[in-house]
This record gives sequence, structure tokens and C-alpha cells, in this order.
Amino acid sequence: MHLRLTDEQKMVQETIRKFVENELIPLENEVLRNEREGKPSLSAAKQEELQRKAKESGFWGINTPSEYGGADLGQMMQAIVSMEVAKTFVPFTFGGSADNILYYGNERQKEEYLIPTINGEKKSCFAMTEPDAGSDTRNIKTTAVKDGNEWVINGEKTFITGGNEANFVMVIAITDKERHQQTGREGVTCFIVDRDMGWRSEYIDTMGEWGPAALVFDNVRVPEENILGELHGGYNLGLEWIGFARWIVGARAVGAAERLLQMAIDYSKERKTFGRPIGDRQAIQWQIADSAVEIEAAKWMVLNAAFTLDQGEDNRHLASMAKLYGSNMGNRVVDRVMQIHGGMGYTRELPIERWYREARLWRIYDGTDEIQRMIIARNLLKGNVKVGQFI
Amino acid sequence: MNIFVLLKKTFDTEEKIKINDGQIEEDGAEYIINPYDEYAVEESIIQRDEHGGEVTVVTIGDDESEKQLRTALAMGADKAVLINTDEDLEDGDQSTTVKILESFFDDKEADLIFAGNVAIDESSGQVGPRLAEALDISCVTTITSLKIDGDTASIEKDVEGDVEMVESALPLLVTCQQGLNEPRYPSLPGIMKAKKKPLEELEIDDLDLEEEELEPKTVTIDIFLPPEKGAGKVLEGEVDDQVRELVTLLKDEKKVL
Repeated sequence: MHLRLTDEQKMVQETIRKFVENELIPLENEVLRNEREGKPSLSAAKQEELQRKAKESGFWGINTPSEYGGADLGQMMQAIVSMEVAKTFVPFTFGGSADNILYYGNERQKEEYLIPTINGEKKSCFAMTEPDAGSDTRNIKTTAVKDGNEWVINGEKTFITGGNEANFVMVIAITDKERHQQTGREGVTCFIVDRDMGWRSEYIDTMGEWGPAALVFDNVRVPEENILGELHGGYNLGLEWIGFARWIVGARAVGAAERLLQMAIDYSKERKTFGRPIGDRQAIQWQIADSAVEIEAAKWMVLNAAFTLDQGEDNRHLASMAKLYGSNMGNRVVDRVMQIHGGMGYTRELPIERWYREARLWRIYDGTDEIQRMIIARNLLKGNVKVGQFI
Repeated sequence: MNIFVLLKKTFDTEEKIKINDGQIEEDGAEYIINPYDEYAVEESIIQRDEHGGEVTVVTIGDDESEKQLRTALAMGADKAVLINTDEDLEDGDQSTTVKILESFFDDKEADLIFAGNVAIDESSGQVGPRLAEALDISCVTTITSLKIDGDTASIEKDVEGDVEMVESALPLLVTCQQGLNEPRYPSLPGIMKAKKKPLEELEIDDLDLEEEELEPKTVTIDIFLPPEKGAGKVLEGEVDDQVRELVTLLKDEKKVL
């Protein structure tokens, strides 16, 4: 066992750190200003410029297979990159990747959808969740009915990440109601549906500075050839693996929490009350210490979840644990950091309140706290995972 | 073209400097490529990509210096040489460094050697020019632009804010100044390849040098931190009065006017 980053991982970490410090953090005030004025966080031109710079540096397609021009570096590298990029709230993700399920497409679909998505020419979204079906996917109601050589889709999807910007959606709909009711995992199909085939998206305003979309399918006609994977086999598109990457939420929380804790440390040395820096006070010291301990714990959980997947092992139990613990850790840390900053922390002069609002989402999306606990408990009670199995 | 870069590791600019027993504490410090040497690495890659050839990055240091060399390789340099003096050399100064490099370059037939203008730790700016002198090749310091056509280099050089244009024949040693270029980030594929690129490790013994030759020519008498910055003075009153007071202070107290 070797609990240190390799030389390459360390160099990637340092390079991304430099990129974040030089290219992203200087934009933070602009982002805060834009958001206060109700404008997009960053202009499209700025976003393009950042993508270009990142791509020129070869930071592109970190987890994309090399046959598609990606670097294919695996989950540990993804974890390292995710934690570094999360040290700023400036919205940015490295390009050159596509949703896993797009790789299940046939040659024509890869040509038309997968490759343009990797190249950033098209944007996709994946739509499963409905107003009455979140993690309980059995309850979905959207249907697709065959009519000639086309399928007619009706229904509503909600909380779709990227749904406002997407050029096409990969939507899950029931194609054989009986089979679906009997088996729970058959009788649903995934369709690739271009926006110009007629679906609509509506922005959902949230507590944060980012909002998902509601998608409306009202007699949207889709050609048969746009079925992704097999008819009635929507769940065979690796959807049972949907939880394998949710540790990334934990990674985001770790990155943000590290930056926030550093802000709190710096502030507690500067801010004086009753003649002494507040960092001299035990009340502040304990908050700093608790935050540091919890960040460290979350970080190891995130790295372990990523590492386990790189070993080709089932990491979903660990991914749920890293997601649950990491996102809660992030909420506790941002709360303490705001408390340490006092009134200043509550203002919009500093980004703490922005992070505070964003952090609340971590406990909700990609499976709520409650879903993660359910998964973890079920794995243990059913004996799928043994106590202390992984290390 | 046979291109070399002289590279030094320096304290990370965010590192806090602590002095203990007249020595700078190095334990646990993070090191980076000297920022001026980054311009040198970048320019060497640009010139190689334009004119062909090979870039070799050379450093004098210890086992830890491999990290900065690998970073330069990840940026795009072809080869690296670490002259490891950790076990052989107690003390050294610029004279020591130049002696070692002179011996290293003895059989290299370099067309171009890039160095940083200064290293941000001791800021002597001596190694580049002294090495050029030792190798008997031309030297231009603080360059901000370099164009090479055949055997001739056209150079723009920073002289206290002004620009001086210089032409020189190759072989040539230049020291790089801010403004010459914008150093690239090591690329992701570059990082993955860096480990496989050749890194040669040499010791003093390999360079046919006698230890006496390497004796430093300078003596360090003391090392101390600059005085802590005191609180500033806030002027008050009408703007006219404030300006008058400021001028008086600059003239009489600080004597800068």
C-alpha cells in the first residue's frame, strides 16, 4: 500500500492548481458581479477562451478513451482534477468528454452525436428523472408509442442537468408498459432526440447560481434509428452503474472546503477582537481543527472510491459513502467558515454565501443523503458488502 | 539546433522564509522552477519547434531537483541532465556553479544556451554571463525577443525599461526576461510522457573536476530578513494640505525628492 500520489498525479495536480490560480480565480470578482446583476456567471466568449486555453494545454478528455482522442487517465486523475477545479466557484469543467451512455450508440450515432459532443460542437443531456420519479426510477410515466417508422414521445422530465443548453437529449421512456410493471427494468427505451424534433426546456430557478431544466415532450416524433441501444433495453446502457461516479460530488466538496478553510485561517489571523486575533480563541481553533479533520477524512474516501474503480472493482458502496460524507462535510465546513467570518461572511462582498447556497445542493442531487444511506444500509444488511471489506 | 537550458529550482514564491542559526530553513519547503528559467524553457521549445533540433535542460542540485526537470520535460524539453552535488559539495557560489557548467559544456557544442535573467532566491544574475565568458561565446542578457535566421540571432533586450536591438552570431547564451513569452502549462499528454524521457544523472566525479576548483570565491557573513513592514501613515485634512505634507515628508524625511 502506498498512500501518496505518483509523480505524474502530483504534476497534474500542480498544473491544474496553477491553471486555477492563474486563469480562474482572477475571474471570481467578475463572476460575483455578473451574478449580482442577474447576468450569466461568465460570458460565452470568456468560457470559450478558457476552454481554448485548457485544450491548448492538453487538458482535455481526461477520461475519454484514446481512440476518441482523449487522455484516458482514469478515475484517480479525475478525482485530483475535480478537487483542484472545485477550489474556485468560477463555473468551469475541462472539455472533451461525453456521457457514458453515448458510447453505446451505433456507428452512425457515434458519428452524429458522440464525436461532436466530445469535440464540444454539440451539447447533450440525459433525462430520466420526472416529477414523480427521482431515484425511484420505476415510477417514470413518460411513454413512447410506435407510429409507422417513428416513435411518439409524451411526458415531462425534470431537474435535467444541462437541459437548458443541450442540442439533444437522451431520454428514457416506457415502450412496453406491462413488461415494465412486471420486471421494473425492462420495457423502457432510451431515445436520442434532437431539440428541433420538438421538445421544450424550461429553466428551473434555484437557490444556487445554476439551474437545471424541465423538459416537455408533447407528441415529439422520433425516427426508429434514434433508439440508443436496444428497444425495451434502456436499462442495459450501463444505467445500473449510474452511482459509480457520484463520489465526484464529494470531490467537489473537498476542493471547495479546502479553499474555504484557508480563507478562514487567513481571516482568523487578521481579524482582531478585544485586542487579539480571533485565531487565538479556542472557539475559532476548534472550528478550524474540526474542519481540517473532516476534509481529510472525506478526501481519503473520495480517493478510495476513485482508486477502487480504477482497479476494476465495484466501487458503488464506497462512492455512496464518499458522496454522503463529503457533501455533508462541505456543508458543515462552509457553515463554520461563514461563522468565523461573522457579518463579513454573510455579505455578497465575499464568495462564502455563494458557496453556502451551492453546497446545499450537494446533499440533494445525484441521490439525496437519504438515498445514499439506503444504498449503504441495504448493501450491508443484504450482505452484498461486508463490514470493513475494502481495506 | 543543439539547445540547452540552465535551470535552477527556487523556493515557491508563497513559501515563508525562516532563518535558523544563520541558515535558511529548507525542510519541508516547496520548490518551483525559477520563474525566469520558465521563460528560458518556453523559449527553447519555441526555437526548437521552429528550427528543429533538441532541447536539453540542465540543473545542478540534489535528488529533489528531478521534479523540476520532469516539469520541463512535460512542457516539451527532450532531455534532462541532473548534476547531483548533494554528497560532494558542502558549499558553493556562482563561481562553483560556473566551473561545473563549464566542464559539463566542454564537449557539448551548444548552439544556443538559455538561462533566466536572475534566480529569484539570490538574484545574482551572474551564472549566465560568466558561463558565456568561460565558454568564450557571445552573451546577451535580459532578452525580450529572439529571432534566429541561419547563424544570426536578432535580439531585443530590456535596458531599464528601454529596448536595445542586438545582433549576434551563434553560438550564443541569452538570459531571459519577463515579457519574452508566456510559459505554457505542462500538457496532460506531456506529463504522462515526461517520465519516459531521458534524464541523465551526473556527479562531480563524472565531470573531471578537482574539489579545490569548486571552492567558493565568496564568503557569506550573515543572512537576515528585511525589517518587518511597519504600519503606514495616513495623512488627514484638506487635500491641498495633505499634498504639501506628503511632499515635505518625501523631501525631508525620506529624502527621495
